Formats: sequence, structure tokens, C-alpha cells
Amino acid sequence: MASLLEVKNLKKYFSVSKGFLHAVDDISFSIEEGQTLGVVGESGCGKSTLGRTLLGLIPATDGTIMFEGHDVTKVSRRQRKELQKEMQFIFQDPFSSLDPRMTVSELIAEPLEVHHVCRNKKERQQRVTELMETVGLAERFEKSYPHELDGGRRQRIGIARALAMNPKFIICDEPVSALDVSIQAQILNLLQDLQESKNLAYIFITHDLSVVRHISDRIMVMYLGCMVEMSASKELFRYPLHPYTKGLISAIPIPSIYAEKKRVIMQGELVSPINPKPGCRFAPRCPYATDKCRQEIPVATEVMPGHLVACHYVKEINETLN
Amino acid sequence: MDTILEIKDLTIEYVTEEGTIHAVNHINLSIEEGKTVGLVGETGSGKTTTALGILNLVPSPPGQIVSGEILYHGEDLLKMSKGDIQLIRGADISMIFQDPMTALNPVHTVGAQIAEVVSLHQDCSKEEAWNRAEEMLELVGITRERSHEYPHQFSGGMKQRVVIAMALACNPTLLLADEPTTALDVTIQAQVLEMINELKNRLNTSMLLITHDLGIVAETCDNVAIMYAGEIVEYGTLEQMFTRTAHPYTLGLFESIPRLDTDTNRLRPIPGLMPDPANLPKGCAFQPRCPYAQEKCSKEKPLTRDLGEGHLVQCHFAKEIGIEKRRD
Repeated sequence: MASLLEVKNLKKYFSVSKGFLHAVDDISFSIEEGQTLGVVGESGCGKSTLGRTLLGLIPATDGTIMFEGHDVTKVSRRQRKELQKEMQFIFQDPFSSLDPRMTVSELIAEPLEVHHVCRNKKERQQRVTELMETVGLAERFEKSYPHELDGGRRQRIGIARALAMNPKFIICDEPVSALDVSIQAQILNLLQDLQESKNLAYIFITHDLSVVRHISDRIMVMYLGCMVEMSASKELFRYPLHPYTKGLISAIPIPSIYAEKKRVIMQGELVSPINPKPGCRFAPRCPYATDKCRQEIPVATEVMPGHLVACHYVKEINETLN
Repeated sequence: MDTILEIKDLTIEYVTEEGTIHAVNHINLSIEEGKTVGLVGETGSGKTTTALGILNLVPSPPGQIVSGEILYHGEDLLKMSKGDIQLIRGADISMIFQDPMTALNPVHTVGAQIAEVVSLHQDCSKEEAWNRAEEMLELVGITRERSHEYPHQFSGGMKQRVVIAMALACNPTLLLADEPTTALDVTIQAQVLEMINELKNRLNTSMLLITHDLGIVAETCDNVAIMYAGEIVEYGTLEQMFTRTAHPYTLGLFESIPRLDTDTNRLRPIPGLMPDPANLPKGCAFQPRCPYAQEKCSKEKPLTRDLGEGHLVQCHFAKEIGIEKRRD
């Protein structure tokens, strides 16, 4: 089966006064229809930039993004508009991503107007009502403004807007981080229901590891613009192979009083992504780092079927692999 | 063991033009020496207002403490004069605020900000205060040399360490930590939590830890209070809360979080939303969302009852429903 989205050697550098900020550095992956790829990493690792670059919201520095056979980085304006019907975005902050002066029904109708998909007002209104029902917004909120609604309902508007064009692929950038746990669970269930009924593919960007494990088929772990590990979601949590992933997973506080706590406390913090030094980005915090790590950037290799790791010493660190 | 803080029947309201917001309603809570009590709840449940109430920092107007006593070593903080409570704030009881980006003053160096706390509360010279500030920075893992730097030169995790250093500078007996790690990444959160725990044990400080993360509760708290719509709906030891969860709301919270050790296809969220604190439902505040609600729940406010060994629940049917459920 051909992949819905295939990304090869994607790079996004921002020019800053001191040089180049390597936000996304040489990332390759693919997504099939109806699948979810989780992207995790700490703030500043480039996960949001990755999402924006994929949709063409910001131009890529290098690499290709093939979506159903079209290269998103090279298409014309008109083609891009067509592609954007298929690729949508759900933003993190339902408080600032909605125009405060538009009502719920206007907000949901906006994408329909932009793409001229409805023949008349009546048809458009019908579609809005339909969408509101799909995302679980009661009809009585039609004339409400975003500020009158709580975070969960606002996020439902964001989802309805993303669904308006019947996309095949949605990038969800921290869609539940601003919400309370009970509301978070409602939204996660909604996203899963929609995926099943509409065969949607998701890229789910988050820093919350328990959420990402719950919702993803595969997970990519990013560190300072680079992919350090990618595998099937459960396998990643059972057999984390990269030293960063190990630290990340062991840092999650577990809501159980019987859980064994073997915590690897990682020293230090993220270093600056501006003009990064050669070598592995994680080397300054890595307990296993050697001179080789500081000089040569490790290439992601498939160490188990479908499990990619970018570490020079993955075999030495993980006895299970031998 | 000595009880160092006792909150009795505390009620805090915000009086606005649109109505009175009942932020904290008749809560009782006590903290023992050297123990950590977790205060858990969702946005708007009154956690932060409770902490501000303890320090008498509720912004007034519109806020007002309507009733209650807050006994600190037997003395009512609410009856103290402005001057007296100022002596306690920052010295005996100090607070770590949620957002380190806004809790620090951007135009003063971090060293000066910590030294300020010290010289306000301790009888010492400027040099001594500055030395103490540098010591505190080292204690939280920041080198002395950085004391002359400004907050913007630090990362989020480092700023939170500065805030913690400031809170601990006068060896407080009680620390109020309001979501101290919510703004941080998990690996940094792990570092900060470990540090707080270690310092707390070394200095034998008691702590009220406000959080919404049950994982953090499991790892740091001795006792847990679950807040909903301004009330403490369940209170007990860590073990009671995690193995004999009794209140339907607490159960709902546990079922809303995706777990790392078991696979669930779908989460089971609590339906509906938290009630508007300006317009609380009659009877039990959780009743409109409660799967076990009966007629009695919408008529009569449940009283707090003891299920045994100090496990307190505010629910009519906690026992009858038999929602005694073993977790793990």
C-alpha cells in the first residue's frame, strides 16, 4: 500500500542573528491511511515546526513531503489550496485560535466559504449543523461566541473546522494539553471515533507520553530537531532503546502506588538548537556518550523490525539486542 | 505528630457584578509536620484560592473570606494584623507559584530577588543576605556565578528552581506549592520534584502540593484531598485514595487518564462539565455528572462521613454503591 504521506530528509532551518536554528533536521517517515503517528519531545524540540512545515504553512528548507503523490514543497498556489482540503490542522490553544468576533456557526462555516464548496447558504448551513452534531456541539451553541464556551467546547469547534472539508489527514498539535483531564478524555475519545468512522490519518503532536501511547499506532521521539527513535507505540514503551527515550519514559510520574520506580534522572537541559555542534544532539546529557558521539551524528537504523534508533551504541546499551 | 496547619470551615467568595462566585465552600483540612498533602482538582475547583486564603492573599475586592479559621500552630492567621502576617509570609509559610515566568521580577537579578526575601525576614547584613541567596542557588543546583544574571537568561526549569530557592530561603515550616511543575517538561519535572522532595526531607518542611496530576500525587504525597466545585469531596491517605477510591468523582478522574501499564481502547471520561461556581446545583455539587446519582442527591447536600481510619467522603451513597474498587 502506498503511503498517504511520505516525508524524506525534511529540514527546516530558521535564520537568526547568530546563524541558523535547526528546528527540524533531516527527518524521514511515512504515514498510512487511518493511522496515527505520535510525535513526542520536550518544548523546543521542533515538533510544532514539523507539523507546520508538513502542511506548507512555513516553507521547508530542504527535503520532500509527498502527499498522495504530490510534493507539498513544490506545488503551485492553486494546487496547494486543493491539497489543503485534504490536510488540516487542529491547534493547541482553543482560546487563541478562534476569532473572538465570530459565532460558532460562522467559525465552522468559514472553511466552507474559503473553499467554495457549498452552492448556497442553505446548503452551507446544513453542513454546519451536520458538523456540529459530528463533534458533539449542541445546536443551542450556534449563535454563541467562543468566549462564552469552555475549553473543551472550543476545541470541538476547532475539530469541526478541521473536518469541514472532509480531510484525509489531520495534524493535531497538542489538542488536549490546555484541557482538564475529564475533558481531555472526552476529546481524545471524539478524535478516536472520528478516525474510525472517517478513516483519518493523524499526526498527534504532544509532550504528554501517556496520551500519546493511548492514541498512537507509532511514535516518533524527537530531540532538538532530530528523530532519535521511532517504533510501534507499545513497543516503544516496553523496549525503549535510545538513552533519551529511556529517560523520558522513566520520568513520567505513574498514578499508582504499587508501581516500581526506577527513575533515570537526566542531568542538564536542552542545549541551544542554534548552530548545533556536530555529533549526536543528546551527547551532552547522555550517560554513555563517548568522543565518537560528540563528532559524528548517528544515523537512524532499523534495529528491530519497524523500530528505528539513532544512536551509535544502541547495541552496547541494550543487551536484549544481542 | 504535631498538626502545624488546620483549616476549619473555610469559605471564600468572589463578589462580582454578575453574582457571587462560591470558590471555596466550608472546607476542613489539616497538615501535619513533615507531611505532604496533595490538593487535587480541575481548573476552577478552588485549589489556588485555598492556598491564597492560607496566606491571606485572596485579592480583595472582589474576594472575601466569609467564614472559617486557619490555625497555624494554634494561632488564627485570618485574625492577624497585616504586619504580623507579613512576618509569617515568606518566612514560616512560603509559596511556590505555578508560573515561574511571571513569578520573578524581570528587572532584578535572581540573586537580588532571593536576598530580598532573606533581608526582609532575617536580621542580617546585606552581604549575609547575598551569601544566603548564593547558598540557596547552589542548593537548587545553580552555580553561584549566575546569581548576577536576570530571569530571562534562565530556562523554564532553572527559573522554577530560582522560585523554589526563594521559597526555601528562610527555612519555612510550611510550603504551599501551586502546580510547581506544570509549566515544565517531564524530564525537568522529574528533576524538580526530586529536588523538592529531597529538600523537604532534609529541612523537615510540610507541604501542601496543589496539582491535577495523579501521577505526581502518587509519588510525592502522604495524604490526598480531592476538590470539586470548592469542596473537598474525598480525603484520605495515599493508600486509601488509590486502593479504596470511594467518591464517584475521584473514580472518574482515575478513569479519565490514559494509563501506561494497561491497554484501553477508549477512556471513560466524566460526562458534562464542572458546574458554574456562581450557580452551584442544589444538593451534591457533583450530582448532575454522577452516574450513581439518585433523587436524594439533588435534594440534600451530603455530609462528610468517615469510612474508617480517617478516610473522609462527601457522598450519600459511597458505601451503598459499593464503589470499593481495587486498583492495580
